[in-house]
Amino acid sequence: MTADRAGFPMNRRSFLGAAAATAGAAAAAPLLAACGTSAPAAPGAASASQLAKIMPAYVPSTLIKPDFASVDGSEPGYLNYPTSLVHSVSGIPGDGGSYSAITPLWASIPSPSGNTYYAAVNKALGASLSMQPANGDTYSTILPPLFSGNKLPDWIQIPTFWTAPLNFGQATTARLADLTPYLAGDKIKKYPNLAAIFPAAWQAGIWNDKIYGIPVFASQFATAYYLYYRADIFDKLGIGTPKVTSINDLYDLGKEINNPAKKQWAFDDIWGYLYQPFGITTTWTTNAKGDLITQWETPEIIEAMVWEAKLVKAGMMNPDSIAGDTGTATQRFYSGEMLISATGQGAWDGSDAVSGTAADKDYVRMAFPFFTASGTGRPSAALANGTSWLSYLNNNLSPGQIEELLRIANYLAAPFGSYEYTLINFGVPSTDYTMTGNGPVLTATGNKQVATTYSFLAGPNSVDNNPGWPEVTRASSVFAQQNAKYAYKPLFYDLNVSVPASLTSANAMTPFSGTTPVQYEVVRGRSTVADYQSTVRQWLNSGGGNALKKFYESVRAKYGDV
Amino acid sequence: MSAITKGDRSGSGSGREPLPGRPPGALGSGTGAGTGPWWRRGGRPAAPRRTLRWRARLRRDKALLLMTLPAVALLAVFGYAPMLGLVMAFQSYDLYEGFFHSPWVGLANFQQLFSDPGFWHAFTNTLVLFSVQLALFFPVPIALAILLDSLLSRRLRSFVQSVVTLPHFFSMVMVVTIFNEMLGGSGLLDTFLRSHGVRNPPSIMTDPATFKFLISGQLIWKEAGWSMIVFLAALAAISPSLYEAAAVDGAGWWSRLWHITLPGLKPITILLLILQLGYALTFGFEQMLIQLPAVGPGAGQVLTTFSYENGIVNGDFSYGAAAGLFLGVTSVILILAANKVAHLFGEAGLYRK
Repeated sequence: MTADRAGFPMNRRSFLGAAAATAGAAAAAPLLAACGTSAPAAPGAASASQLAKIMPAYVPSTLIKPDFASVDGSEPGYLNYPTSLVHSVSGIPGDGGSYSAITPLWASIPSPSGNTYYAAVNKALGASLSMQPANGDTYSTILPPLFSGNKLPDWIQIPTFWTAPLNFGQATTARLADLTPYLAGDKIKKYPNLAAIFPAAWQAGIWNDKIYGIPVFASQFATAYYLYYRADIFDKLGIGTPKVTSINDLYDLGKEINNPAKKQWAFDDIWGYLYQPFGITTTWTTNAKGDLITQWETPEIIEAMVWEAKLVKAGMMNPDSIAGDTGTATQRFYSGEMLISATGQGAWDGSDAVSGTAADKDYVRMAFPFFTASGTGRPSAALANGTSWLSYLNNNLSPGQIEELLRIANYLAAPFGSYEYTLINFGVPSTDYTMTGNGPVLTATGNKQVATTYSFLAGPNSVDNNPGWPEVTRASSVFAQQNAKYAYKPLFYDLNVSVPASLTSANAMTPFSGTTPVQYEVVRGRSTVADYQSTVRQWLNSGGGNALKKFYESVRAKYGDV
Repeated sequence: MSAITKGDRSGSGSGREPLPGRPPGALGSGTGAGTGPWWRRGGRPAAPRRTLRWRARLRRDKALLLMTLPAVALLAVFGYAPMLGLVMAFQSYDLYEGFFHSPWVGLANFQQLFSDPGFWHAFTNTLVLFSVQLALFFPVPIALAILLDSLLSRRLRSFVQSVVTLPHFFSMVMVVTIFNEMLGGSGLLDTFLRSHGVRNPPSIMTDPATFKFLISGQLIWKEAGWSMIVFLAALAAISPSLYEAAAVDGAGWWSRLWHITLPGLKPITILLLILQLGYALTFGFEQMLIQLPAVGPGAGQVLTTFSYENGIVNGDFSYGAAAGLFLGVTSVILILAANKVAHLFGEAGLYRK
């Protein structure tokens, strides 16, 4: 039930699949959100000085001292849940207004009728929020009709990785409420819990020099992927803690543990993770001469492709992974059909431990520390946006209503361990959860009623806490503390760029996205590196790639390298 | 339908018109108000007679027409109304401007489409996959029906029929999953082979070269039993006296099949074949979409998935709509052409001429 980690549903890989992996997952998408004809004149990004003017003030606050302090931006870790709950908001935030809200949900949709959880939270909020969670797997397809038909609810969660097809630079001006007048600079101090959210996360919600998004699950150490392994099986095989300091080490390790005759393969498709060791940044980077190039033109991406193709050829990748079946990837990892897998940071949590140990009682998930492919030099990992989860208000709302909802957002953003946080994440004591020595545990009713609904509208910075699984918290927190120092901000970090209409299709980078992008084909041996290179050339010359590059050069000139 | 138009155009009954020269009053509803005996209306000018005839037809077919109304309404709401959205194929559709304010671009989307190698690949691939699938699939239900029809035990017959019909009710997702569990890289077959020392068992589910046979196999497993029902019905309609007479004349099993059974199935076979052609370009969307990652676009990309990828996944709605429109128009042409061919062979086809 701990949804309090950045990018947590990234293990819902069935949707993003290989497509997301190609673009450094969720990381790249928000930068690419396109903009149509009625958008402000290009280039559509703020300059650094303009940004500074509208950025909300940052007033950090710590309610409870963590067991694992934040090091270089890692999420603070809490082994236990506080038993005495402190109030962080005084009074009732709402004025009794009625609002609708749509959020994605990757679980069964709770029934709204007779839902005591909704009733209790609404009572605490002093407003009636009618929650309409929608199936997360198909969420991206319900968004375009909501926007084009002008049927948006009052409050909606739109993850950054789904903004591109919505022409989001235009969506914001046309349909969503500008929060700048309420939150810019010191104005945010009216909402102390919102002011405690990392500036990087607020920046991810800025479009056309205005604040639109309210961040959820903010993190200063959000990277696209971790490379996980089954520590328990490694122990049984006598490998113990693996020492992988180069990509060759990883290959050799794979050879050692690969055993198809016993239905045990070494690897899942780990393409998404390979960006880390091979030093591939998110979409845009610079070459040796300092010119802007896309990740697709870097030699590193070809090295990564060739290396993973070698894995496939050597029979070290699980056949279902080769077949692109991402839907059952987690189960394959649980059942030990593959021992090394690449997934989001959020996969390492209590609910994973619950499911994993249900499949195999010894189940332990661990991650490989960051390394470089060559085995020399300092490892690096590109940071993803300050958050991938942002909620937006409808621009039909009156200023009074917006202020009411912001006060409610402030309530929802109450920090970990507070009374409010517990209510929102676990519901009503004794009805929805029981407080045990390990922290709150959902009851049967709670499991039915309490879903990630309100917590997708606003929330505090992510922390690492897994009630009942302190050892998971310990392992992941220590890992983050040790590896966060390698994270760096890539070019255009956290910057939303509105692309002119003429470049929209180029910006979709179609040959490299979708279900079966060209790099995916190369890894599987169905296309060659030469095919890949000619696709890149074709995209640059006739697919609008060069024009897009020129546009981004102008953005870079205005915004500067971060 | 074409009979009406033809009759209308010529003004008087042509030879092919049903009941030529006979006024509608004679069709059985002549007792209704306003329709006098036909000989009194003989000298009327052409126009009113035509409307009368039309009205009379309406009255005659009232019950039938009423029964089709729900289906027509359904088609109008879910078939024809959304078709208006196809205007976006000629626009540079913008979510926030809508149909009414999005800029018109004429045929630009189609120009882009026809110069897109990905599109032509999807097009030819569609035709190849469809042809192979049709050739492999189509004879199976006929053979199955003939085989089943020859079973004498009623119980055995209905048992077999249930077994082969059941997979029709599975979704394509399930069918592909079952195939994967059996033939996939970590499925039953490969696991068995691997545990018996075969180092590189065949990768049936991910081999692009044999993909066309794989999808045909899936379709046969899923639909052959269901399609068989129609043929069983057609077989039942063949008069046993024909067989008896043939048997008396000394015809063997083979010549009875060749001269009685197959000709008896011919009209329904041709009808189904034409209908199938209509689906040629839109066939197997689900089946392809699910298996695209397994075999790659080289083998698995078809027009429908192409349209879906561009329109829905990449958000280029106009481009996707242009591909969709092309697909629809080509399908109609295919149906009409197939029907024409059927007429040339003297068959009824979808409708009579």
